[in-house]
Amino acid sequence: MGVLKDFFNLLKGMTITGKHLGRRAVTIQYPEQKMQMFERSRGVVVLLSDKETGDLNCTMCMLCMRACPTAAIYIDAPRDENKKRVLKEFKVDHALCCYCGLCEEACNFSAIKLANKYEFSTWDIDDLVWDVNKLQDVGRDVPYVDTRKKKPAAKAAAKPAEKKADDKKSAADGAKPSAEENKQSEGDKPSEPKATDTAAADKTAPAKDEKAVDSSPDETPESDETRRSADDDTKKGDA
Amino acid sequence: MELYPVFMWLHDLLESTGIGEPWSTIISYGFLAVTVFGTLSILALFLVWWERKIAGHIQQRFGPMRTGWHGWYQTIMDAVKLLQKEDIRIATRDKAVFFWAPVVCFVAAYLAYVVIPFGENLIVADLNVGILYIIAVTTFTVISLLMAGWGSNNKYALLGGMRSAAQVVSYEVPMAVSILTVIVFAGSLSMVDIANAQQGNIIFNWFIFKPPFGIIAFLTYITAATAEANRTPFDIPEAEQELVAGYNVEYSGMKFAMFFLAEFVNLFTVSAIAVTLFFGGWHGPLLPSWIWFLLKTFAVILLLMLFRWTFPRLRVDQLMEFAWKFLVPLTFANLILAGWFKYAGWHW
Amino acid sequence: MSALRTEEFTVNMGPHHPSTHGVCRLILTMDGEKVVKVEPVIGYLHRALEKICENRTYVQCIPILDRFEYVTAMSCNYVFALAVEKLAEIEVPERAEYIRVIMLELNRIASHLLFYGVTAMDIGALTPFLYGLRERELIIDLFEMTCGQRLTYNYIRIGGVARDLPPEFVPKCREAVKIITDKLVDYEGLLNENPIWKVRNQGIGYLSPEDAIAYGVSGPVLRASGVEYDIRKNDPYSIYDRFDFNIPTHQNGDCYDRYLQRLAEIKESLKIITQALDGLPEGEIQPKKKINAITYKPPAGEVYARVENSRGELGVYLISDGSTKPVRVKTRGGSYNQLQALPIMVNDCLIADLVAIFASLDVIMPEVDR
Repeated sequence: MGVLKDFFNLLKGMTITGKHLGRRAVTIQYPEQKMQMFERSRGVVVLLSDKETGDLNCTMCMLCMRACPTAAIYIDAPRDENKKRVLKEFKVDHALCCYCGLCEEACNFSAIKLANKYEFSTWDIDDLVWDVNKLQDVGRDVPYVDTRKKKPAAKAAAKPAEKKADDKKSAADGAKPSAEENKQSEGDKPSEPKATDTAAADKTAPAKDEKAVDSSPDETPESDETRRSADDDTKKGDA
Repeated sequence: MELYPVFMWLHDLLESTGIGEPWSTIISYGFLAVTVFGTLSILALFLVWWERKIAGHIQQRFGPMRTGWHGWYQTIMDAVKLLQKEDIRIATRDKAVFFWAPVVCFVAAYLAYVVIPFGENLIVADLNVGILYIIAVTTFTVISLLMAGWGSNNKYALLGGMRSAAQVVSYEVPMAVSILTVIVFAGSLSMVDIANAQQGNIIFNWFIFKPPFGIIAFLTYITAATAEANRTPFDIPEAEQELVAGYNVEYSGMKFAMFFLAEFVNLFTVSAIAVTLFFGGWHGPLLPSWIWFLLKTFAVILLLMLFRWTFPRLRVDQLMEFAWKFLVPLTFANLILAGWFKYAGWHW
Repeated sequence: MSALRTEEFTVNMGPHHPSTHGVCRLILTMDGEKVVKVEPVIGYLHRALEKICENRTYVQCIPILDRFEYVTAMSCNYVFALAVEKLAEIEVPERAEYIRVIMLELNRIASHLLFYGVTAMDIGALTPFLYGLRERELIIDLFEMTCGQRLTYNYIRIGGVARDLPPEFVPKCREAVKIITDKLVDYEGLLNENPIWKVRNQGIGYLSPEDAIAYGVSGPVLRASGVEYDIRKNDPYSIYDRFDFNIPTHQNGDCYDRYLQRLAEIKESLKIITQALDGLPEGEIQPKKKINAITYKPPAGEVYARVENSRGELGVYLISDGSTKPVRVKTRGGSYNQLQALPIMVNDCLIADLVAIFASLDVIMPEVDR
């Protein structure tokens, strides 16, 4: 009896849907209940600050800017008279950002991170361009594993905050291998005086290892050129 | 046996205040109409909300949750929103047809309630051809859908309108014939008489429990009724995956809301008819009769909702095939056998 | 009495139509409800991904190619990484290969679950969509736990994977495999034997094996036509030759078989995942010589790499001149060929059948338009 068989198959489908009628919903009510985000979730881009001093970890090496495939990061840090970098501008355009996480992997100083926060929508697309203060503010409570090599001196003597920041900058500037050397060195460079090594053997270490090359942006003006032309291409392509 | 006493009382009251004929009659009839209309509109609004909740829970979601307790006034807010919306009228429409289609649909949906007994004595007019009247007026809906399809001057809408015409006309036949089977049982066309014939003996006097004709008549009726109410698996006139929205693709604002509400009023209509014909109407112990009627109707609606959220949609030619090659012969055989049993005087 | 005069009319189905899976536009010539001719118009989702890749370094190409076929972005990651690995002869660590296979197969299941829901919705059953997505969510959560994103993963990298699995991944993954195995019973119960589902799908959109091969159709659509061809078996990549799995085929080549084919493939993928989880070794996940995101330069040359993803053959043709950026990246997606075969499958069917056929091909527009 084909008809009866069909009829019972229809009933079977209805029992399956009917069975679900009494079950609990698997969805949540968003603004009241929030999902527990995974620790690795890649959301908003933030700048991390030192856990003790509260200063930015960023050394303005511009690796993240070069690693970004969509040119969402813009850093302007000219050198002052002492050849030290002064952070003038650090902007992240969250509308351009594709949340790939390459900047986080490129950074040797635990300075930039894609935090697991997702509530940063705005009414105006221009508000998605965040400057350094906002990036730092949002990043203050973001937990992270500090992969920088700690200087014992920094812990022992409670130096003034700006002094330490200067130290860090000078350390970054001091270690400037040539462009040739850059290309040679693929792995870690323990010989370098600065804190590039991925010292902490946490579980993110293998990912961090990938970058390891020191960049010296001011020595490679042509790279900036190519970067810019790539930007133009992106814009054309997107348009 | 009707709401007529209420009408008479109101009529007398108006007479006593000095309002003479014909105004007292007109006002009291108007009062009656507004009562039925208001009740049904509230029911339709409730059904929209209920369907969304049922769909949500079947799919393990919540459904509306924002407006009030479990979103109970969601549809009211939707109606308010639709009222405020711009009424978009495309330039190439057929002006009169486009305007009148939702009105016809809306009115046709409510017409059936003249003869549907909501409970003991809760009926507007107990016509002696009640069920025939229902079959006649519910067909108005198809005219409105055709009007909407034609008036929109849109290919998708036209296809939807043509589909609905073909579908509703085809399914009128098995629906009417399965209703006829019940009329054979009851021996009357009056809705009140049909309901009264199923009184007593707990539930076993219900016509659905007259094996095997009752159950077959019910199944064929509910199938045809699903098609009449344009619901999945027979919702091809508005099949959103094929025709976007079918006949109402060009409608917006309140005109769309009228189509939408009419759809749910139709849902209630077919379920109420099913209850009256097969489930003993308003009869039941202890509780007031209208509560029994609503409970049974909601049970049937729940069944129709379960259909909608379980089954895929049939194709238009398969739909026709199903109606003419399966349902029509089955219902006719059922009717003839039931009539034969009745004539032979066999009790079952 | 002269015959009633009728005429054909043209319907523009799409680009904004609920069942064209994005922005495909089909120009239909219709005779009443009957589709006489169908002409797909593509390009509404063109983003010039291949051109953008020419201006990116090799590592930066991977997040760009995530957007190529976003339903199975892991395959897109993988196929590009595979091309570069072939070119530069990079040896991938054992653990990374196992993780890759787990991820690829999970992504295949996720894609087929999406197919299950979307196809059911196109035929008119709305509930299976939510059920399919409910289980897909489990897999997406596994991805997010591992690599941080739910859709565009940027996880499989040249020479390995971006991050090691979190410790809770393996138990969670086993749990997900078990849940999906259980829920498959529900899926099949809802649709497989449903008479409406069968009548809507059986015998609709027949594609003969000869036509399928001639049009370059691949993947489940090809196998549902009876051709046993799967790159995982025929041209093994990664470590697929180590696992015990079958290539299911169906013979009728209609919409119903294409649907059954995908459900059968979910089961095979579950088998592979279980085996891979059992055999998951410890060790490195990146090659010894690290790939730098900015300065990596593969040797000059040309290479074509292909993988079997849920929509057929996914390929990348890569030309390198030895600099940090590829000279040319050409992608090949299965959806393009399947969409191309649509007109021959639509012979005088109704518009409702067209929707069913389109759904059964599981075309995803970003893969067609790139």
